[in-house]
Amino acid sequence: MKTLADLKKIREKAQEDMKLRGGNVRIKIVVGMGTSGIAMGAREVMKTFLEEIAARNLTDVMVTQTGEKGLSSMEPVVDLIEEGKPKVTYGNMNPDKVKKVVIEHIVNGRVVSDYVVATGN
Amino acid sequence: MQDISLHLLDIIENSVRAEAKSIKVRVINNVNKNRLRIIVEDDGAGMDAYTLQKAQDPFYTSKEERVKKVGLGIPLFKQNAELVGGSFKMASEPGFGTVLTVDFTLDHIDRMPLGNLKDTLLGVIIGHQDVDFFIHLIYRDRAAEQCFHFDTKAIREELGDIPLTYPDVIEYIDQSLLEGIQNTNMEDV
Repeated sequence: MKTLADLKKIREKAQEDMKLRGGNVRIKIVVGMGTSGIAMGAREVMKTFLEEIAARNLTDVMVTQTGEKGLSSMEPVVDLIEEGKPKVTYGNMNPDKVKKVVIEHIVNGRVVSDYVVATGN
Repeated sequence: MQDISLHLLDIIENSVRAEAKSIKVRVINNVNKNRLRIIVEDDGAGMDAYTLQKAQDPFYTSKEERVKKVGLGIPLFKQNAELVGGSFKMASEPGFGTVLTVDFTLDHIDRMPLGNLKDTLLGVIIGHQDVDFFIHLIYRDRAAEQCFHFDTKAIREELGDIPLTYPDVIEYIDQSLLEGIQNTNMEDV
């Protein structure tokens, strides 16, 4: 059974971690979670990002959910936002594509152009 | 939407869009009453009587930037509940929030399954770190009552400035929700 005491341990570990590398968020992931996105599988896309973050121990990434942005025909849609770089929007996402984006874009810094549906703001 | 947990996700996203800071989600599996009840209560912007009625109309949406003026989320949820002898009620007060109560007849042969409640809850909790979620799962039958309570405010107090997206925290929340769902028999509803 998970208890709040487990969280204390996590907190101590995370604080050590942050001392070493600073608490900066390097990449922000925004998953479109409007009605049509949900119907097209956005929840599984979100879940896969969370699994990959946990499995690869990515501590400088933030994930949020947001409403629709008028790209209904390309749902599920995901934005990747990095400081000082144009926003990259990936469309028609699924769990396999998410895994590829995590390895290529988030870990190795290479945009996966095949899945990009829009860039910039 | 293929299952109730996806509708629930859609409804919670509506609450977030209404700028709720606190969202209470209750899922009550009451075998005695042959009823599966979902209650979502938020402290968001709320709706006046006109908007509340329009929200149940498929050709209405509050999203003004949208080109296609349809909002199917609420009407479809309502339809899926009412088609199987259930009910759908929404009450709201502008400036105070909205409460939504949806009932499904548990043993109706055409009732959609509850689905993956865990992934719905995990996504909204981590995807909206500035919103407090109070999750309550309740299972009732003649012999027993099982409850699971999950409060993200308590978790954030414990974590201080550590974000919920920290890898170990994701696993902690995922595991806690899984245990809660198993203990309240919500896996294959």
